[in-house]
Amino acid sequence: MADAAIRTAPVPAEPARFDGVTISLGLPLARWSLRGRNPQELGNALGLPVPGRIGETAGGMACLGPDEWLLRLPEGSIIPMGEGQPLSVVDISDRAITLIVEGDRALDVLSSGCPRDLSKLAVGEARRTVYETVEIVLIREGETRYAVEVWRSFAPWLHLALVTAASHLPE
Amino acid sequence: MILIHCPYCDQTLPELEFAYAGEGHIARPTDPSALSDEDWERYLFIRDNPRGRHHERWRHIHGCGRFFNAVRDTVTDKFEMTYKAGEPRQ
Ligand SMILES: [Zn+2]
Repeated sequence: MADAAIRTAPVPAEPARFDGVTISLGLPLARWSLRGRNPQELGNALGLPVPGRIGETAGGMACLGPDEWLLRLPEGSIIPMGEGQPLSVVDISDRAITLIVEGDRALDVLSSGCPRDLSKLAVGEARRTVYETVEIVLIREGETRYAVEVWRSFAPWLHLALVTAASHLPE
Repeated sequence: MILIHCPYCDQTLPELEFAYAGEGHIARPTDPSALSDEDWERYLFIRDNPRGRHHERWRHIHGCGRFFNAVRDTVTDKFEMTYKAGEPRQ
């Protein structure tokens, strides 16, 4: 049956383009939720750099909490699973999708529904937060490019909310 | 909107990212089976509910995910301080 499984995207494949901002579906990714008491230990087990401060990112890995990381790598990537060690390495690749919000007005669109002061989010910073009522992980990938990680089942609603915000931007 | 300082993120952030989690510093009895029904009831349900300074737990649920403790005035809704879980009562 697995061979017959087809991945369907919960939002339109066609980017939604507006004056100053484009909202599009990101490429499928391999994702892991990583838990451990000690970043050093986790780094040694995975052979990857582990950011130590909440909000920091390094090589596709974002530190979300004092003992929690999100690792995003190209689809098909494989990492050690940390067997026998006091770590949790869980494949969550298909739990979320990425929406890319990009353009000069991207910050305005995201700020319309996020209670944080996003003007303080630095390039390369990642934070779990909310947009309207939906939990997201927001990663500022570039000066005007943001990746929004959202759980698959929330994605159609979030996409609609972002598109609605983008179509009502004040001049 | 109320702003709450998360002692783990070390940022002052909007209340929408947080969830209230009841009175703080309530330790689970180490041997529940040794408790009388009245004591067990007191542990489970009976709270101080003070007017004024209240020690309470919060969770940065839509952020770093951690539980922490806060002192909030129940009359003014002002947060006096927040501190990490496991630190002594302030
Ligand atoms: Zn926090």
